[in-house]
Amino acid sequence: MSTTLKKTIPVAIVFVVALLVMMDYFIVTPPTDAAGKSWTSGVVKDLQNWGIILTAFSLGFGAVNLFYFHSKHISRRTPDQWMFSIWLLIVIVIFTGVGVFMGPTSTSYNWIYNASYFALSATVYSSLGFYMTSGLYRALRIKNIESTIFMVVGVIVLLKNAPALAVYFPTLSAWGSFIENVITTSAQRGIMIGGALGAISLGIRTMTGKETGFLGRLTEEEKGGGAP
Amino acid sequence: MSGQGKSIWDTLEDIPREALYGILLVVFVIPMIYPLGLPVPISANVRKWYQTIDALPPGSVVMIDFGYSGGGEPELGPMAVAVYHHLFSKGDIRVITMSTSIEGPQLWDKAIAEIRPEQRYGAQYGVDYINIGYIAGGETAMAAIGKDLRATTSTDYKGNSLSQYSIMDGIVDAHSFDLLLCYTTGGDQSEGWVRQWYTVYGTPYMCSVLAMMVPTMLPYMNAGQIISVTSGAQAGEMEGLVRVPARGIKSADVITMTHLLCVVYVVIGNVAYIAKKSQGGSK
Repeated sequence: MSTTLKKTIPVAIVFVVALLVMMDYFIVTPPTDAAGKSWTSGVVKDLQNWGIILTAFSLGFGAVNLFYFHSKHISRRTPDQWMFSIWLLIVIVIFTGVGVFMGPTSTSYNWIYNASYFALSATVYSSLGFYMTSGLYRALRIKNIESTIFMVVGVIVLLKNAPALAVYFPTLSAWGSFIENVITTSAQRGIMIGGALGAISLGIRTMTGKETGFLGRLTEEEKGGGAP
Repeated sequence: MSGQGKSIWDTLEDIPREALYGILLVVFVIPMIYPLGLPVPISANVRKWYQTIDALPPGSVVMIDFGYSGGGEPELGPMAVAVYHHLFSKGDIRVITMSTSIEGPQLWDKAIAEIRPEQRYGAQYGVDYINIGYIAGGETAMAAIGKDLRATTSTDYKGNSLSQYSIMDGIVDAHSFDLLLCYTTGGDQSEGWVRQWYTVYGTPYMCSVLAMMVPTMLPYMNAGQIISVTSGAQAGEMEGLVRVPARGIKSADVITMTHLLCVVYVVIGNVAYIAKKSQGGSK
């Protein structure tokens, strides 16, 4: 396949689509229809709906890929894996069958969701509380200045988030709020602004074809001599 | 290491995890079975959330994103239920729900079964509230719904046409909504609504997220982009305000007790560590 097909055309599509979406988001363009919408609005609306359809399609595609991937494990009898693969495929078939034939809002579908996935999901998430408690006990030790600060802040926030203690120790609540609203927010803003600048940079690199990860595997020549 | 010659400080500095888990389980289970009735003060953010809904004029339209997963339901479910109670009790508020989480419709069914809006408030599906289902695409879905709801989805979560429901009359885009609420276990959703609805249309927005996500959302609230950020763990406070005590109040007791236990663990670990160090035994 030529470089034009593998790189130039996809990058051109990304450039045009990104430009349209950004124009619609950032620039107020004159209305062109009776509803007062600009020409970019209609185009971007269609693009967004395509995006939703593609995402929905990718969910189905993911299920097909799971079948392919785990069928290989079953046929090869991969040690410590193939039985779990069988179980996974059985569960997918049951959920898909009930969802397609009885409806995803049917009582049966809700029952199998609540009795299996919901219960397991809540249990796994809740079990984190045990690991965190054990980790807290071992990690919050006064070993040096940094760990002491970490421990003091951690204990204040822990106590601040215990509802009943705010009644008996209102000062704790004030300290906790100061940590959250001043210290944490300041640090978080820095992280967010840094992340946003990185995203802008990545976006520009992708639009101009310097970032080629989304195109799959390309040779150095196809990448244009390698990204600087 | 053999147990011989092991001091009390050695034991306390390295308590087996099974013992830590066991004590935590006991401290967790007792308040769940026998609620302690500890006080639950109302924090500023929960009060602001409550007052914002309370100030909605009759005829207002509220969009809710049920964007949490099953794992987050024990934390966010009680908050969602308490807020629904508040909205339904006001009457004459149209509540339209969608989901950016694929599990949203199932969890919404669960919440509605708990609220029983028809029996308790006389609210009718399709007239006072509706669920337009899961819409794939994350932020793209938020943007598309904000731009043109009917072009994005034409049916509710049961597959029935939206045009047959009177609640959808006059609902066009984000401008049709007076308030946006989001319950989510994902940062992409809670931040996405700021980018796709508040920034573009100025829709007033509040979100309830996992307790550990609150710090990431505070900058938005302090900048005025979100009216109020609460954590699902504060559901007990909301239940107190709307006077429908349920799971959240019970959780408040558990949260207080387990947090205190965590502090006790930290104190024990540090006392043992310092004592051992003073005896020259710890590095």
